[in-house]
Amino acid sequence: MTNFGAKILNNSVSALAAQQAVIATTANNIANVNTPGYVRRQAQLETRPGSISTGIDVGNGVQVGDVSRISDQFLESLVRGASGTMNQDQIKSDYLARINVLFDLTGTQATIGSSFNEFFSAVNQVAANPSSLELRSNLISRGEELTTAISSTFQTIATVQSELDQRLAGEINEVNNLTTQIAAVNVKVAQRESGGVTASDERDQRDVLLNKLAEKVSFQIVETSDGMVNISTLDGFPLVNAGTSRNLAVTTSPSFAPGALPPSLSGGTLSYVVFDYGSGGGAPSHVDLTTTLKNGGGIIGGILQLRGYNAVTNTSAFQADGDLVAMAARIEAMTRTLLTSVNQTYLGGDENGGVAGLQPSSGDLNGNTPPVFGLFDFSFAGTKDVDGDGVPELTDLAALTPSVDNFSSLLRFGVNNPASFAAARDDNATVGATSFAQGDGRNAAAIAALRTSTLTFSTGSYSQNTTFDNAYNGLVSYVGNAKSTATLNLNVAKANFSAAANRRDEVSGVSLDEEFAALIKYQRAFQASAKMISTARDIFDQIANLI
Amino acid sequence: MTRISENQSSRVLISNTLENKRKVGLFSEQLASGYKVALPGDSNQSGTVSQYRQSLEKIESYTTTIAQTKSFLQYQDDTIQQVNDILVRAKEVAAQAANETNSNISRAQLSEEIFQIRDHLVNLANSTFQGKYVWGGAADNIPPYIAQTYTTPATGPASQRYVIDAQPGRDTLRTVQITDNLSLQVNSTAASIFDRAIQAAERIGRALGGFSTTLTAGVPDGGGVAYVFPTDFSAQTQAIKDGMNLLDSAREGDIIPERVEIGGKLRRIETGESLLTLEKASSQEVLSRIQDADEAETATSLQQAQNALQASYTVTARVLRLSIIDYI
Repeated sequence: MTNFGAKILNNSVSALAAQQAVIATTANNIANVNTPGYVRRQAQLETRPGSISTGIDVGNGVQVGDVSRISDQFLESLVRGASGTMNQDQIKSDYLARINVLFDLTGTQATIGSSFNEFFSAVNQVAANPSSLELRSNLISRGEELTTAISSTFQTIATVQSELDQRLAGEINEVNNLTTQIAAVNVKVAQRESGGVTASDERDQRDVLLNKLAEKVSFQIVETSDGMVNISTLDGFPLVNAGTSRNLAVTTSPSFAPGALPPSLSGGTLSYVVFDYGSGGGAPSHVDLTTTLKNGGGIIGGILQLRGYNAVTNTSAFQADGDLVAMAARIEAMTRTLLTSVNQTYLGGDENGGVAGLQPSSGDLNGNTPPVFGLFDFSFAGTKDVDGDGVPELTDLAALTPSVDNFSSLLRFGVNNPASFAAARDDNATVGATSFAQGDGRNAAAIAALRTSTLTFSTGSYSQNTTFDNAYNGLVSYVGNAKSTATLNLNVAKANFSAAANRRDEVSGVSLDEEFAALIKYQRAFQASAKMISTARDIFDQIANLI
Repeated sequence: MTRISENQSSRVLISNTLENKRKVGLFSEQLASGYKVALPGDSNQSGTVSQYRQSLEKIESYTTTIAQTKSFLQYQDDTIQQVNDILVRAKEVAAQAANETNSNISRAQLSEEIFQIRDHLVNLANSTFQGKYVWGGAADNIPPYIAQTYTTPATGPASQRYVIDAQPGRDTLRTVQITDNLSLQVNSTAASIFDRAIQAAERIGRALGGFSTTLTAGVPDGGGVAYVFPTDFSAQTQAIKDGMNLLDSAREGDIIPERVEIGGKLRRIETGESLLTLEKASSQEVLSRIQDADEAETATSLQQAQNALQASYTVTARVLRLSIIDYI
């Protein structure tokens, strides 16, 4: 015959233990309500299997099967994706804001646009009153302002590019730390789970690391049967494989570069993110991951999309892609047009009528003709007019020794003495002889007319036939669109991230209401089980009294 | 059943509060600066804003040029008016002298006044505006007329002749960009206005003073002899009449057309100026519509954002104060 009295006690005792285990889980949930990455636990109660019984089976009480971790991998990956996009747009928006202030639209700050206007206006005034030294001095000031505006705007963009390049190194370093830690946690998870229990704490820890990694780069993730995760870049290059991780390097001298690397906007070198197979591996010993990372999201994706990527076989900073490079190319195009088309007009035309070499037909108050790069000049020690034909041309700029990649940072105004601005054109009909009148403003008028002339602006992949005003407006439009698009994307990404995080927390987050309700429920069950023990004692007492 | 975890509710509350706070900041900044679009990233119309701002700046600089050009042309107009007046006076004097009731002696007395008129004409032709010779062409630092002498007589006003001082750029005229579509030639050569008038006064003056003037291709060449009276009395009368004819053609062919032309230029400038004013007004209006913050609208938005912020503070405080612990 079954000993029901003992059953009562046994079952009650099992219940006391089980309810306490559940309450302990609840206590853990409440304790970790604000812990980042914490996923709520749920104790799974199950009936306790009994020994084989021939009699009536009244059950064997309750036990805790497992404490499970309530997590949804799909929602986790959704959150990571959204966080990657949000961080990518955030960094773009932050850095573009710094470029944005260079193109003030209220007219209160000097910009390239306002300087162009002031300059052409000053030239027009000299054209109307060529011998006025006051107006000529004003023209020089305006010209210097214009060259300063151009070079400082360009240099700010170049500085932002090199700052991004430096930041890239720091971010890659953090990626390396994260992948190393993930690999280490992978091992712990596998060790604990080989015993059949869920390694909840280690998984929490790993999720936090994965979320941090998702802020930096986009990646693919595969969980293996032993609980480890393998991580690879979007195009499949493995970063973490079970318990090992690969450290990426940021280098300015990758082994796959054929020779000199293309310069950056500031004249340095844009670094490449590579994996180094070490000396033991066969060629190539480096794998270039820069493009892959640029096509992805995260802070690193955002940095690379702004900074741009320049193939090692390129030779110019303007061959790179990237928003900053596109902006800089537009400024450089203006500089080159000033150095060539505007300087050509300034020279007045060929006096020699077809005889080799250009003899300028414009002159200043002292009767001197201007040098080749007369109105707009650039700081350079060597020969500027390389082919020696007296004409400032793009081919001259391209053939300098040593070569110069950007002229915007070297640009300066060529006239520094009011009397030496060549406002006049030659009045002497004899070929080879020149005479210039003090009150002749024809050359200045020709320069002023360039404001509304269609000129060619071309650098890198940017090429346009337009006026100076429209070239500048195009630049403002480009900067404005880049910034407003980043801001708009950021707002969308924030909303997406918030929605994804909410969906995850809906499943995995701790709800105090729920925990307290559960607490009361299990407390009541505990009380009931305790009561059962006293009931069992009463039963035993009554049996004893019978004796 | 939807679960609402603690993280969710605090995230929603915090992000809503921050968003409302951002809006309050945005609208107060717009209200304080007056600009809705201050930087390119504030709008996708930044290119348009930049374009309108440029045209306004350009209009501003054209306005300066217009004011300077107008005063320059006005000065020429006033001077030419004076030239016209004294040529009328010269004609009166010459007509009086041409009458053969005058003896060669009384004619000689009248020559004095004619030479004064001639000198006045030369002064006007050599006049300056802001230190520059108005009719000097590009050589506006050198007076257009210089004095030379006739062989006969050797002294006195009749010995003086005025010719253009040929300098490089003397005939180079100045063109000024008034607006994008209008550029004007703002001066004329001294020769085209004054040559015939000065020559006419010179020939009349010399004839009255008793000297003939020889011409090469209709232009005095510095030669001439003294008349012998009474033999040459009728030749003297003829020379005076010839001078008067030249005076008429100078006035009708040079002076009056020049005045008409200057008047026309001034009118064109004024038309250009009023078009610029219209363009300025319309550009400002468009720019203001895109760029300026509408005060009433922004103030209302600010009020709304403030209300929303207040509401989110209230909601946040209420929701966070609610706790199941108070009820168990």
